[in-house]
Amino acid sequence: MRKNLIILLLIVIALTLPLYTGVYILHIFSSILIFLALSLSWDMMLRTGQLSFGTAGFFGLGAYASVLIVVNMGFNPILSLLIGAIFSGFIAFILGFIVLRLREIYFAITTLALTHVFSVIIRNFSDFTGGASGKILASAIFEGDPVKIYYLVLIVAGLAIIISEVFKRSRIHYAINAIRNDETTAKSSGIDVFKYLLFVFVSTSALQGLVGAVYAHQYAFVNPESTFSLNFLLLPIAMALVGGIYSTNGPIIGALLLGLISEYLKLIMPYGHLIVYGLIIVFVVLFLPRGIYSTIHNKLLKSNIIGGDKNANTASK
Amino acid sequence: MSFSLNKSYKILLLLVIFIVIIGFWNPNALLDGLQRGSLYSLIALPLALVLGILGVLNLAHGEFLTVGLYFIFMLNTRFNLDPLVAIIPTVIFLLILGAIIYWLTIKRVVKEGHLSQLLLTFGISLILIETINIFWTSMARNVYTSYSYASMEIGSFRFGTYELLYILIAVLVLVGLQLFLKKTRLGQATFAVGQNPKGAKIVGINVNYVYLFVFSVAVAILGIVAGTMLPRTAIFPEVGSPFTLKSFALAAMAGMGNLNGILFAGVTLGIGEAVINSIPNYGGWSDIVFFGVLIIVIISRSYRGAR
Repeated sequence: MRKNLIILLLIVIALTLPLYTGVYILHIFSSILIFLALSLSWDMMLRTGQLSFGTAGFFGLGAYASVLIVVNMGFNPILSLLIGAIFSGFIAFILGFIVLRLREIYFAITTLALTHVFSVIIRNFSDFTGGASGKILASAIFEGDPVKIYYLVLIVAGLAIIISEVFKRSRIHYAINAIRNDETTAKSSGIDVFKYLLFVFVSTSALQGLVGAVYAHQYAFVNPESTFSLNFLLLPIAMALVGGIYSTNGPIIGALLLGLISEYLKLIMPYGHLIVYGLIIVFVVLFLPRGIYSTIHNKLLKSNIIGGDKNANTASK
Repeated sequence: MSFSLNKSYKILLLLVIFIVIIGFWNPNALLDGLQRGSLYSLIALPLALVLGILGVLNLAHGEFLTVGLYFIFMLNTRFNLDPLVAIIPTVIFLLILGAIIYWLTIKRVVKEGHLSQLLLTFGISLILIETINIFWTSMARNVYTSYSYASMEIGSFRFGTYELLYILIAVLVLVGLQLFLKKTRLGQATFAVGQNPKGAKIVGINVNYVYLFVFSVAVAILGIVAGTMLPRTAIFPEVGSPFTLKSFALAAMAGMGNLNGILFAGVTLGIGEAVINSIPNYGGWSDIVFFGVLIIVIISRSYRGAR
């Protein structure tokens, strides 16, 4: 009950934020929500046991696809966002047949290498993509209206949260968990491992593409350096880790926490404010391997502060 | 770790043929490639050592190189020390830094899953980059030495002599490492730990000490690389970052623990890169060589493994 109230309160705050804050705060929250969605999409792939380093790659593909069809073919910007998502998903679908055979370190490194390959290809097809200098849109989406952009980003982040929750509450969840815990057992109990991996890979990549497209339209430009920047890989991972992996709440908490901290540090420390990400990642890996959310949640469970779970706890005794 | 000689000879023969063909076709690209290749393999050797013995893929590898470069840069600007001379204090500095970082962090994740290892070393790399950012900002910097652009002429063919040093040092470091692993007691212990940590523990080897030693030495080798590189490279906080993935590409291509193979792989890819780089209008595609080869090698290994 209390949990639902908190969620409702957060939704209300998120929806009414533009009413009582200025452009600057809205801008900060838009970028936090962008990273939140990326962080969730990375975590969804991780739930299958596959550590993907391709987040920045699919983010960039989506961004480029949507900007290029607007600039080169005059598409409607909003429609182009969807096309960005579909393009990323489609590329992921094709590559999935090859890379999803790989596991662990090899999957991680191959997806990272793919990110570099995408950016090299885009840099070298300069006639179509604008090469190293990239492409600039005539104007940002909605003529750069921060409130509308905020709602657009909020919708994307909401979509990420909904997909993540669907993954958690449906049959997919069991299949994914089984694959992560023991692939051989999962296979022998009749789970089509490849099919589920491909499904998750394509849907998370499409989501990353959508986020990339929105981001590109928010800032009205793409270029290989900044669009395929590893920040779009590293910061989401840090956020998910800090909050706690394998959950929806973890990445949300992590994104809000790290987003606000780094925004504050940016003001007082123009160079090197990202150091806080590094310190937090190292600290979390060493001392809170389950992330802040799970650690606090478990502590609360133990001291029976969360009322709803008290009965469940005593019942199990 | 495998050091099968027969296989090495075959690869060596193929490599020599490859080099001769390229040499006739495009001698400039050959020389450029040899230099690049030895630099790549020089940087990849310590990564492969850590990967082979600790089983940790150190994502902060390139950043340790950056730290070494900046340390030498500092010695050069403050005390006017020649970069090549500054190698000695830098190696000592990196040895200590590596030991401290191992002791504080890596030690705790050696036995854990790949995820924590990758994330931890990734966090370390972020800390190193940003620390450099705080002290030196993101501006690119240079060191000038009188000898770095010296050149030589053979007939009508003119080339820079300084980069030949890369080849020399790559061979020296490789031979030094091999001698150390085979001839010294500590080296043999390292070898044993790499093959079977549990067995090594049973026969009385202090595994943790070997890990500490290997990690610090691997970081310290980067000090040598940094000193050799600095006269010819502009430095900025992300200068070392691309080398991490390239080093892993070489280690994956050579096969885990095959140190000789790294030199072959490095030279082959270095020449490949240089050849593509020398084609007018298509030079930009040279970046794809490493990643393309990395992806192909990993995927073809996975297909062979499945059979």
